[in-house]
Amino acid sequence: MLGAQARGINRTKLTAVILFAVVAAMGGLAFASVPLYRMFCQVTGFAGTPRTGAYVGTASAGAGAAGEVTVRFDANVNSQLPWQFQPVERQVVVRPGEEVLIHYRAHNFADKPITGTATFNVTPFKAAQYFNKIECFCFTEQTLKPGEDVSMPVVFYVDPQLFEDPNTAEVRKITLSYTFFPVETQAQQPSAGEKAL
Amino acid sequence: MAHGAAAGHGAHAHGEHDHHPTGWKRWVYSTNHKDIGTMYIVLSMIAALLGGMMSWYIRLELAEPGIQFIEDTQFYNVLVTAHGFLMVFFVVMPAMIGGFGNWFVPLMVGAPDMAFPRMNNISFWLTAAGLVLLVMSAFVGGGPGTGWTVYPPLSSIAYHPDAAVDFGILALHVAGAGSILGAINFIVTILNMRSPGMTMHRMPLFAWSILITAFLLLLALPVLAGALTMLLTDRNFGTHFYDPAGGGDPLLWQHLFWFFGHPEVYIIILPAFGIVSQLVSTFSRKPVFGYLGMAYAMSAIGVVGFIVWAHHMYTTGLGVNARAYFTTATLIIAVPTGIKIFSWLATMWGGSIDFKAPMLYAIGFIFLFVVGGVTGVALANAGIDFALHDTYYVVAHFHYVMAIAAIFAMFGGYYYWIGKISGKQYNECLAKTQFWLFFIGVNVLFFPQHFLGLAGMPRRIPDYPDVYAGWNMVSSFGALLTMLGTFLFYYIVFHTIRSGKPAEANPWGEGATTLEWTVASPAPFHTHEVQPVISAGDHGHGGHGHGAHPRPAE
Repeated sequence: MLGAQARGINRTKLTAVILFAVVAAMGGLAFASVPLYRMFCQVTGFAGTPRTGAYVGTASAGAGAAGEVTVRFDANVNSQLPWQFQPVERQVVVRPGEEVLIHYRAHNFADKPITGTATFNVTPFKAAQYFNKIECFCFTEQTLKPGEDVSMPVVFYVDPQLFEDPNTAEVRKITLSYTFFPVETQAQQPSAGEKAL
Repeated sequence: MAHGAAAGHGAHAHGEHDHHPTGWKRWVYSTNHKDIGTMYIVLSMIAALLGGMMSWYIRLELAEPGIQFIEDTQFYNVLVTAHGFLMVFFVVMPAMIGGFGNWFVPLMVGAPDMAFPRMNNISFWLTAAGLVLLVMSAFVGGGPGTGWTVYPPLSSIAYHPDAAVDFGILALHVAGAGSILGAINFIVTILNMRSPGMTMHRMPLFAWSILITAFLLLLALPVLAGALTMLLTDRNFGTHFYDPAGGGDPLLWQHLFWFFGHPEVYIIILPAFGIVSQLVSTFSRKPVFGYLGMAYAMSAIGVVGFIVWAHHMYTTGLGVNARAYFTTATLIIAVPTGIKIFSWLATMWGGSIDFKAPMLYAIGFIFLFVVGGVTGVALANAGIDFALHDTYYVVAHFHYVMAIAAIFAMFGGYYYWIGKISGKQYNECLAKTQFWLFFIGVNVLFFPQHFLGLAGMPRRIPDYPDVYAGWNMVSSFGALLTMLGTFLFYYIVFHTIRSGKPAEANPWGEGATTLEWTVASPAPFHTHEVQPVISAGDHGHGGHGHGAHPRPAE
C-alpha cells in the first residue's frame, strides 16, 4: 500500500512535468509560427508569396495569343519614407516562360542618405506560385544618396504551369506590388527571408 | 452507489469537528479545494456585477439613436472591451472551472483534494490579481479601447500610446498563468487520483468536461501568452511582429489570437455541457443517454476546436481554398454538438422530470444553445459571413451560444449545488421567478439583435441611424429585465445564506447519483477521508447504467 502510494506520487509528479512541458512547447510554437509559416509559404507559394530563384522555365512551346499574361506593376511608399517610387512601365504583356526585365525608378527627396526595403506580393494570390522572380531589388536593402535617382531592375518569368492548373487557368492579369519602408535602425534590419512575408 | 459505510463515515463523524484554520488565514492561505472553489465563485459574482453594469450602460446608450450618455467614444470602446474580458476571463471561467470544478471534481472522482493544493491557491490568487489589474487598466490614460480581440494596429503604440493596453496585457498574462496552473492541477487530479473502481468510463460527465477543458486551456493559453508577449515587445521594445514596416504582419496577431480564441469559447461552454448533463440526468431520474458518446463528443469538439480558428477571419483576404476548408471544418462541429443535444433530449425522453429551478435552467440552456448553434451554422459559411461579419448578428450569435448559455449553466449549477456548498437550500419559488425573469429578459435582449444584424447594424459603435431605433429599444428593454433578474439572483444568494432551510445530504432524490451527494451538506472540510470504492455494479456515476437506481447511501 505504501509502495503503491509512493508510486502514485511519482506518477502525479511525472504527469505534472509532462503538462508543464506541453505548456512550454505551445508557448514556443506561438513564436515558431512565424518562421514555420514563412517556410510553408516559400515552399508552396501560399498567400501571394512569389517564387524566387534561377530561371528554370522553358520558353513557351506552343503558347499562342491565348497564353499571354498581362503583368501590372504597383508601387507604394510608406509615409515615413521621403522617396518617390514608381514603375517605368505600368504593365507588360508576357508569354509564359519568357524571361522579362522591367524597371522601377526611385528618387530620394531628403537631404541625407536613406536606406529602404521593399515588401512585395502578387495578386491574385493563387497565381503567386507560378510567378518567379530571378532578380529583384527587393532581395536586398537599397540605400539612396540625397537627391539620387536610381533604376531598380526586376527579372521574372511566369511559369507555363499557370495555364495547366485548373485553379489558375483563367488568370490573364497578374499584379506585382511593392511597398517601400524605411529601415529604421541597423539592429532591426529584416533579412531577405523575413521580407517574404 | 458509493459504498455507504465509507461516505457516511466521512459525513457524520467529521461534520462538526473539522479542524481548519480560521479567520483570514483560512481563506488567504487556503489549500482546501472547497474553500478555494468558494472564493472563485465569490470572485466571479463580483466580476459579473462589474461586467453586467458595463453591458447595461452600453444598452442604455444604445436604447435610442444619437449620443445620450457616453460622450467619449473611447470610453465606449473601453466599456465594450472590459465587458468582454470580465465576462470571459473573470466570470465564466472562474465560476465554472475554478468554482464548480474545484468544488466538485475531487468530490465526484473520490479524491481527498486537488493534486497540488498549494498550486491551487496560487491559481486563485493569480486570477484575483488579474482581475484587479484589468480593472486598473481602465483607469490608465484613455483605457484599453481595443475590443477583447486586441487587434493591432489599433492596439499598437501608435493608436494606444498610454500604458492602458500594457496593463491589460499584464492582466491577461497573470490570469492566464493562473488558469494554466489550475488546468495542470485538474488534469493531474483526474488522471491520477480517482478512487478505486472510478474508471475513466465511469467518471461523471462534469468531471469529463473539466478534464477536456483543462487540456484546451493547456494548449490554447500559452499561444495567447506568446501573442501577447509579441504585442508587448512591439509596443515597448521596437520589435515588428505585427508591423509591416519591419517585415511583420498584423494578420499574425489574428491567427495567433484566434488559435487561442476559438478553443477559448469551448473552454467556456464545455463545463456548461458537463453541468447540464448532470442536471438533466438528475432531474429526469435517468442515467444520461449515450454516456460514452457524450464524453467522446466533448473530446471531439475539443479537438476540432483547434482547427477552425480562421472562420473568425473570413474577411481578411483568405484564399478561397482556405475559406472552403474552414467552412467545412466549422460545419463538422455541428455533428458532435448535435450528439450532445439529442442525447440530452433522449435523457429527458420517458424520464420522470422534476421541473426544479436547476432543471429549468438546463432546459433553458439547451434552447439558447440550439438558437445560437443554428446561427453559428449560418455564420460558418464564408459567403454568408461576408455579409454578416462585424454586425449585430454576430453579437446575437455568440451571446446566445456561449455567453448566456454559459450563464444559464452557471445558474443551474448554482441552484443545484448551493445546498452542498452552503448547507442551506434556496427558495424554489424565488428561483423559478428568477429563471423566468432572466429567460424572458435575455431573449428580448438578444433575439432582436439578429434582425439588427441582418439589417446591417455594425458592432462596437455607440450610435446608429434612426432606421435601427425600434429593435434597439426592445433590446434595451430586455437588458432591463435581465438586470432585474440578475439583482434578484443576488438577493436569492443573500436570502439562501441568511434564511435558507438546512439542506439534506441529497435534496434531489434518486436521480442524484454522483459522489458529492453521499457526503453531508454542507460538505465537511475534509471529504472522502475513507476512500469510496466503486464497483462494476455501481453504475450511475456517469449516469451510464441502466434501469432504476438505488437511493444513494447516506
